[in-house]
Amino acid sequence: MSEQEAGEPWAVHPDASLQAVLEAPCCPALLRTALTGVHSWQLRTQTPVGRTLRAFQLMPQWIATLLALGASVRLEQGDGAREVSLERFGRQASSGDIAALHIPLIDSACRWGEAHVARTPADEPIVAAFAWVRFGGGVVEAARVALTGVWPEGVRLVAPGNALVGEPLTVEQILTLAARIRERVEPVGDYRGSERYRRAMAEVMSRRALKACLELEVSDA
Amino acid sequence: MPDDRRRTIRVILNGQERTLPVEPAETLLDALRAASCTSVKYGCGTGDCGACTVLFDGEPIYSCQKRAVEADGHQVFTVEGLAPFPAHQLDDLHPIQRAFTETGAIQCGYCTPAQILTAKALLDRNPEPTRDEIQSALSGVLCRCTGYVKIVQAVERAAVLMRGEGLPSFRHSAVSLSDDEALTDLLAERYATPGDGREPRTPLVISPPDLARLQVVGGSEPKVDSVKLASGAPAFTDDVKMEGMLHGALLTSPHAHARIRSIDTSEAAALEGVHAVLTHHDIPRVKYASGGQSFPQPGPYDQVCLDDKVRHVGDRVAVVAAESPRLARRALRLIEVDYELLPHVLDAAEARVSGSPVIHDEPDTEGIYDPDRNTVHRIEAAEGDREEHWRRADYIFEREYRTSQQQHAHVEPHACITYWDEDGRLVVRTSTQVPFHIRRMLAPLVGLSEKEIHVIKPRIGGGFGNKQEMILEDLCAHLTVATGRPVRMMYSRSEEFTSSRSRHPTVQRYRVGVTKDMEVVATELDLVGDTGAYGTHGLTVNMVAGQKGLTLYNTPYSGFRCDVVYTNKPTAGAFRGYGAMQTHFGIETLMSEIASEMGWDVVEFKRRNWIREGELLVMAKALGEGREGFEQQIRSSGLAECVRVGLEATAWYRKRRKLDQASAVKETEVGNERLRHGIGMSVMAHGSGIAGLDMAAATIRMNDDGSFTLLVGAADLGTGSDTILAQIAAEELGVGVEDILVHSSDTDFTPFDKGAYASSTTYVSGNAVRKAAVKVATLVRKHAAAMLGVELRESREGGARKRTRQEQVSGAQMTGAEDIELHHGAVWFPDGRRMTLEQVALSSLHQQNQHQIVASASHVSHDSPPPFGAQFVEVVVDAETGQVTVERVLMTVDAGRVINPITASGQVEGGIAQGLGFALCEEMVYDADGRLVNPRLGPYHVHKADEMPEIDVIFVETDEPTGPYGAKSVAELPIDGVAPAIADAIHDATGIWLREVPFTPERVWRALRTQT
Repeated sequence: MSEQEAGEPWAVHPDASLQAVLEAPCCPALLRTALTGVHSWQLRTQTPVGRTLRAFQLMPQWIATLLALGASVRLEQGDGAREVSLERFGRQASSGDIAALHIPLIDSACRWGEAHVARTPADEPIVAAFAWVRFGGGVVEAARVALTGVWPEGVRLVAPGNALVGEPLTVEQILTLAARIRERVEPVGDYRGSERYRRAMAEVMSRRALKACLELEVSDA
Repeated sequence: MPDDRRRTIRVILNGQERTLPVEPAETLLDALRAASCTSVKYGCGTGDCGACTVLFDGEPIYSCQKRAVEADGHQVFTVEGLAPFPAHQLDDLHPIQRAFTETGAIQCGYCTPAQILTAKALLDRNPEPTRDEIQSALSGVLCRCTGYVKIVQAVERAAVLMRGEGLPSFRHSAVSLSDDEALTDLLAERYATPGDGREPRTPLVISPPDLARLQVVGGSEPKVDSVKLASGAPAFTDDVKMEGMLHGALLTSPHAHARIRSIDTSEAAALEGVHAVLTHHDIPRVKYASGGQSFPQPGPYDQVCLDDKVRHVGDRVAVVAAESPRLARRALRLIEVDYELLPHVLDAAEARVSGSPVIHDEPDTEGIYDPDRNTVHRIEAAEGDREEHWRRADYIFEREYRTSQQQHAHVEPHACITYWDEDGRLVVRTSTQVPFHIRRMLAPLVGLSEKEIHVIKPRIGGGFGNKQEMILEDLCAHLTVATGRPVRMMYSRSEEFTSSRSRHPTVQRYRVGVTKDMEVVATELDLVGDTGAYGTHGLTVNMVAGQKGLTLYNTPYSGFRCDVVYTNKPTAGAFRGYGAMQTHFGIETLMSEIASEMGWDVVEFKRRNWIREGELLVMAKALGEGREGFEQQIRSSGLAECVRVGLEATAWYRKRRKLDQASAVKETEVGNERLRHGIGMSVMAHGSGIAGLDMAAATIRMNDDGSFTLLVGAADLGTGSDTILAQIAAEELGVGVEDILVHSSDTDFTPFDKGAYASSTTYVSGNAVRKAAVKVATLVRKHAAAMLGVELRESREGGARKRTRQEQVSGAQMTGAEDIELHHGAVWFPDGRRMTLEQVALSSLHQQNQHQIVASASHVSHDSPPPFGAQFVEVVVDAETGQVTVERVLMTVDAGRVINPITASGQVEGGIAQGLGFALCEEMVYDADGRLVNPRLGPYHVHKADEMPEIDVIFVETDEPTGPYGAKSVAELPIDGVAPAIADAIHDATGIWLREVPFTPERVWRALRTQT
C-alpha cells in the first residue's frame, strides 16, 4: 500500500489486501461501503487487490465502485509502463503485470451514491449501482454509474455521464437516465432474480444511486 | 500416496516454531489438522462458512483458502494457543473462551474456535467495539445453531473482562406472573425501545406464582461440554486419527435418472494406495430405509447401499478407500460408468401424472402406494361429522401455499470413522443423532449382528434432523469390512446439498369454514409432499404435517389427504419442524388472511379458535407418526399468556395497521427508498416426543467422591441436552451440575435412547433421568440411614420418597426416608444430623453393606404435550424492490418449566434464525437436468451475524403434569411460526399476501405489481 500524495490518485499495490484498502485512512467511503457487508474480514484479508482486477466477477461490488470512481491500472511490460482505465482493462485482455491500482480520491466537489437489492441485508446483491458525480459551478462536470447483476459478465460501467455533463443535476434528468439504463442493460436471469426483475432493478438502483449524489449536493449546498 | 514434491515449511504456530511437511496443493487447513490443531474445522472448503478461521500474522483468514506453503515463515494462531490444554474449568480459559462459555454462546461448538479467534482479532485491535462492529467482525463465520445472539453477547462480555472490569454473572431475568401491573410495566420498560444497544437483553422467564423454585433446575447453568468446546478439544468425529486409517470417497451420479449399464473400476483399483473400490456388484443387495426411526421403521425399504440405478444427481454410484483423501478422489475420476439415461421428473405434480417416468420400478421394493404415479404414500384421515360442520360454515376460504426445499446446513458435515476393535467388533464413530437406530439398521447391511457393532457418538457439529439418517455409516462400514482397515469418510459441502437430506417441499391446499361469529368449524388440508428420490421420512414428516397443521385450531371437523411423491431430486428427510413448520405456514397465514378479509382482529380470531387446555387433540389418534396414534389431551397451555405478553412487549396495537385503515399503506420515504413498515404475528404448537413410541433410558451410579455418573443414550447434538439432563439429575440428588458426569450416546456403555429428534430429549429422556435419579436418591437415603442406625419405614410407593412441599410447610411428622433430604452435596436428617455424599459413597463402596449405588429407569409416554408459542415480527418492505428486511423478532414461549433458560433461549434464537432463512432466502434450486444450481453456502445463503434482526425471547412458564419438573420441549417450536408471522407483517406493510416461501425480493415485487 503506497502513501497517497496530495492531488495524486491513490496508488494501491496489487499485493495489498482488500482489508488493507479498507483500513487505509484515505479509503473513500464509497469503497468502504462496497467492501463491507457482503465480504467478510477473512475474505478481505486474504484477497489481494490484483486478483480481483484479474477476475471482475470475484468481487463485483468492489469493481463496480472502482469503475464508478474512475480507477485505472498501471501495467508494466518489458518495454515500459502504461496506464489504462479499469474499464478498458476489464474489456480487453491487457498484457503486462499490474504495478498499481490508481484510485482517484473523492474531493469536496464529488458526490457518490450506492444502492442495492438483495435477499437479505448481507447477501450478495442481486443488482447494485454505484454512482459518482463531480459538480462544478452548479452543473455536472463528470458522472459515472456502474452496475452489477445486469450484464452477463456481472459488472460494467454504464457511461451515462455525457448526458448529464454541463447541466444541473435534477430529478427529472435522473429519471430519464435511469430509464435509459434500463433499456441498455443485458441481464441474465437466475434463481435470485429473473431477467425482467434485474432490468427493472437496474433502473431503480441507478436512480437511487444518482439521487443519493443529488441529495448530498443539495444538503451540502 | 504422499506427493513426492512434499516440502517442509517453518511456521510460528501458537507462539512456537514448528516445521510441517506439506504438499504443494495442500491447504493450511489440512496441514494444521495434520499437526493436531483439530480446533480448525472443515465446513465447506470454499471460504463460505469460516469454520476454518485461523489468525495469520494476527489477521483472521480462511485456512481452507490458503495453501500451506504460503504459511512458510508466518505466524499462525489457533484456539489451541489460547489456553493450556487440557482446560479443566472456566478459570483455565482465556477471557473470550470464558465469556463464550458463560453466555451460552456455544451450542454444537463446531464453529466456536473460529468465532473465538475472530473475536480475539477484533478485541486485540479494538478493546471497546460497538455491537455493530462485533456483528460485522463475526460475519465471516457462520453459525447455524445460535442465531448469533449469545455469540455477540459473549464478545461484548469478553471485551469487558479483557479490560479488567467487573461483571455480574450472566443469567436470565425472572419475574412472577402474579402481578399484572408490574409485568406490564416491566415489558414496557424492557422491550419498548428495540435496538437501543445499551445492555444485551437476556431471556426473561415469567413464572406462575405457584411454581416452586428449585435448586438446579431453572438455573442458567453453563453447558457441561462448553469448556472443552471453547478450548477446541478434539471432541468431534473427525478429530481423531487412527493407525492405518484409509479415506473413503463417494462417486455420485451426474444424472437425475439413469440405469448403470456397466461400471469399470479397474483403473481406479489399480492405483497404488487404493485399497477398495466398491460398486453394486460388490455389495449384497439388502433393502433398507435410511431414516433413523424406531423399530419397525416405516416403509418402504426402497434403498440399497449401492444400486444399479441412480435416481437423482448426487445419488450413490461407487465408493473408494485410499490412503489419502486426494488419492481417493483421483480414484473416483478413474471409474468409468456407462449410464443409460432415463427421462426424469423434478416436479411433484408432474410426477403424480400417469405416464410420468417411474422412479422406483425395481421389483424388490414393497409398499409403494402407486409406483406408476410415483406416489409412495397416500395418507387419509378425518375426524368429526364432515357434512354437519361444513353446513355450519357461513364462509369458506380456500388457499394454496407452497414451501421450498431447505437444506440443514449444519456446519459440521456428515462424518464417520469405522474400524474393527480388538475383539473383532465393528466400531462406528459417527456424527449421528440416532446411535442406537444406526446400530440396528446397519447390522443387516453389513452382515453382522447388532451385538457385533458398537456405535459411538462424539460431539456433533449440528444436525437439525439431517443426522437422523444413515448417510455414511453403511458405506464406511462396507469399506472397513472390505479392507480390514479403519476408514474415515466426510462429506464435502456440495455433497451435503446433493447427497444428504433436506426439508420436504410441499404444496398445501387448505379449506377452512368459519361462522360469522369467528368460529372455525371445519378444516381440510390436501397436501402433496415431495420426498425426492427415496421415501425415508416421507410418511412420518407428512403425517406430522397433517397432525400439527390440523391441531393448532383443533377444528370439530378436520380432514387430511396427502400424497407423498417421489421426484428425481435429492432426498428429503427429517428437518427441525418436521412437516409441522410447513403446515404452520399454511394454516397461520390462512387464519391471518381470513381475519383480514373479514375485518376481524387477527389476534382475537385466533384466540377464539386455538386449542385450549382440556381439549382432546382431534387428529392425534388418526395421525400418529407412521402408525395410528394415541388419544391425547392438552394438560397445560400458556398460549393465551404468551400472546398477551407478546402484544404488550411489542406494543402491537400501537403499531398494527388499524382495521379501518385496511386499505391504507404505511409508506415512508427514507433517503430515496419507499419503505413500508409492518408488524405480524403467529401462534404455534408442536409436540414433545412421539407419543407411545419414543423410549429413553438412563442409568445413574454413585462414585467414591459423592459425585454421580449419568449414563444416557440421549444424543446431544449441540442443543445442551447433556446439560439439562445433568440438571435434572442434580436437582433430585442434591448436588451441583459439576457433580454429575454425563456420558451419552454410546451403544456399548449407555442405556438405550431413541435418539435426538421429535423434540423428545427434555421430555422423554428427562423423565427417564428423573426416574433414575429418584431411585438413586432413595438408595442414598437408605444407606445413609443405615450408617446412622436409623430404621426406615417404606413409603407409600414402596420406596423412600421426599416429603412434598405442603408436608414440609405444614410440619407433618417424619414418616420415613422421605424426610431425609438431599441438598448441597449432603444427606440431611430431620434431627439435624448430616453426612456428606462422599461419606455415603465411601461407606457403600468400601465399608458397610457394600454395594454400588446405582439405578436405571426408562420412560415412555403416551402423551406428547405441545409447547406453545407466539411470534411477533416487525419488517420493512422496500416497495420498489420487494426486499423484505426483518428488523425484530420477539418470541414468547410456553415450554412448561424451563430447565435451563440460557440453553432453552439458545434453541429459540437458533430456530428463529433458521426460520428466517426458510422465509426469506433458503431454497434449493435446480436446472432442467436436475442439477442443483446453488450447492454452496454462499449462493444458497445462510444468515450471517451482521444481518440478524433483534431477537428477544420470553418464556411464559407452565407446569406440565407429565413433564420432568413440569417441562415440555422447546427445540422445534421456534421455527414453526417465523414464515407466517413475516407473511402477516408483509401484509400489514403492503396489503399483499405471499403464499410461497421464500419471500424473495422478486416474489414480493411481483405481488406488489399485481396489487397495483
